[in-house]
Amino acid sequence: MTILWFLFKEGFKGLIRSKYSGAFSIIIIAISIMLVGFGYVIARDTLFMVENIRAQFDVDIFIKQTVSRDDIAAFEKKLKKMNEIDHLIYISPEEAAKKFKKEFGEDIFDILDYNPLPPSFTISFTPIYRNLISVEAIANILQSDPVVDEVKYRKNFLIILEKYQRIILFTVLGIFAVLTLISIILTSNSIKMTIFARQDIISTMKLIGATNRFIKIPFVIEGTLEGGLGSLLAALIIYGMFYLQNTYFQSFFDYTVVVSYRFYVALLILGTFLGLIGSRRAIRKFLN
Amino acid sequence: MISFINANCTFRKNAGVKNLNFSIDDGEFVFLTGPSGAGKSTILRLIYMDLFPEKGKVLIRDFDSTRIRDREIPFLRRKVGMIFQDYQLLKDRNVYQNIALALYASHYKTREIKSRVYSILNQVGLGHRVHHRPMELSGGEQQRVAIARALVKEPIVLLADEPTGNLDPRVSIELINLLNKINKKGTAVIVATHNYSLIKRVPGARLIQINEGEITSIT
Repeated sequence: MTILWFLFKEGFKGLIRSKYSGAFSIIIIAISIMLVGFGYVIARDTLFMVENIRAQFDVDIFIKQTVSRDDIAAFEKKLKKMNEIDHLIYISPEEAAKKFKKEFGEDIFDILDYNPLPPSFTISFTPIYRNLISVEAIANILQSDPVVDEVKYRKNFLIILEKYQRIILFTVLGIFAVLTLISIILTSNSIKMTIFARQDIISTMKLIGATNRFIKIPFVIEGTLEGGLGSLLAALIIYGMFYLQNTYFQSFFDYTVVVSYRFYVALLILGTFLGLIGSRRAIRKFLN
Repeated sequence: MISFINANCTFRKNAGVKNLNFSIDDGEFVFLTGPSGAGKSTILRLIYMDLFPEKGKVLIRDFDSTRIRDREIPFLRRKVGMIFQDYQLLKDRNVYQNIALALYASHYKTREIKSRVYSILNQVGLGHRVHHRPMELSGGEQQRVAIARALVKEPIVLLADEPTGNLDPRVSIELINLLNKINKKGTAVIVATHNYSLIKRVPGARLIQINEGEITSIT
């Protein structure tokens, strides 16, 4: 118990004793964690934005003019049973006419004396089917139905979206991975510098017969504390910046950052973990 | 207690020791003398197993340089006290903490640590300097703190590498007298020095002379 208490105290005191190098280490860790935090939010929101655009993709199914109301109702039932379809809207010829007037400013009856607009359905897909292959396959199935006149969708839009989504996904994940790697390297190196500045302690401890574990534990506690404090600082700065964005600049950037408390907890855990691993790796190098 | 058997150790070009054969018994006072670079410090480093012979071996009680594992070295060093010319005290800790560290590293209990530290500080005449930091002490006092730190674990041997190198003649004599006193209580003392005037201060001490890594005489 004496030893454990002593080692814990040494770890805490070490942080105070290290003064500038410790403070520098905490700042570097805070910057690293901020990079990861911002990287995560940017990656998440970019992907969310792309997914949101994809969610707005829909398909129009035009029904033959000759089809009876009962057959349309039966077809609607059939559509509702399809797992691939997330949402559907029936547009009757009358509603289509109203829509036409709203969009083009002219009444269809004034132009043609009758309503040529067919009944239709607008459908959107569940997330996993919002891709070109699935949409094409479903459209072909629907097209073969006897009540369907035509199935229309913006194929090119989907092709472009898929192409760019892949680029965005890889870019965003790449940036996030690079930021995480940078943060690991920065954290590890800053802790290494803190230990390097106090090599005399390690050599003295070795001379007086301290085991490697006895030497290691206070440095690991110190590194973990630096990681925890660095990530706490990062979490506070990120919280403050998101607060400023959502309170004062929301209308300016038209963007609201939404993060739960779990995000901040994850940052704290990440920083503490990086501190622990970084100090373990660094001290091992000096002991060997 | 300490035996060098055909020990050879070269750790840098032209630096090291060759074919060492000698023994030191319990409670002996030994001076290792010779010019700078003769190999005195190498012999001490071989004793506390900071270096290992390439040929031959060094035995310290049950510890054999050819068999010892890395994790056993701290246990050897708890039996070997060391002091250096530059004292090697931790500047960010006070006298008490510097000495207590050696006992914490050897897993002593807090109460025992306290009594041992105060007792050893009184023995080296620094009872009044407990809460001072090394930089607030004179060179002689710092060296006495280093001696206290080395002795507090009750080692079988105290190694001193040029312990008076940074001290003036009067303090150097005081220090040698202190080491002699320690030796009289039963701890073997090995002092590496090129200060021949100190040797006369310890009548009866053995003298091992080294030159270019080889023993030239043992008296």
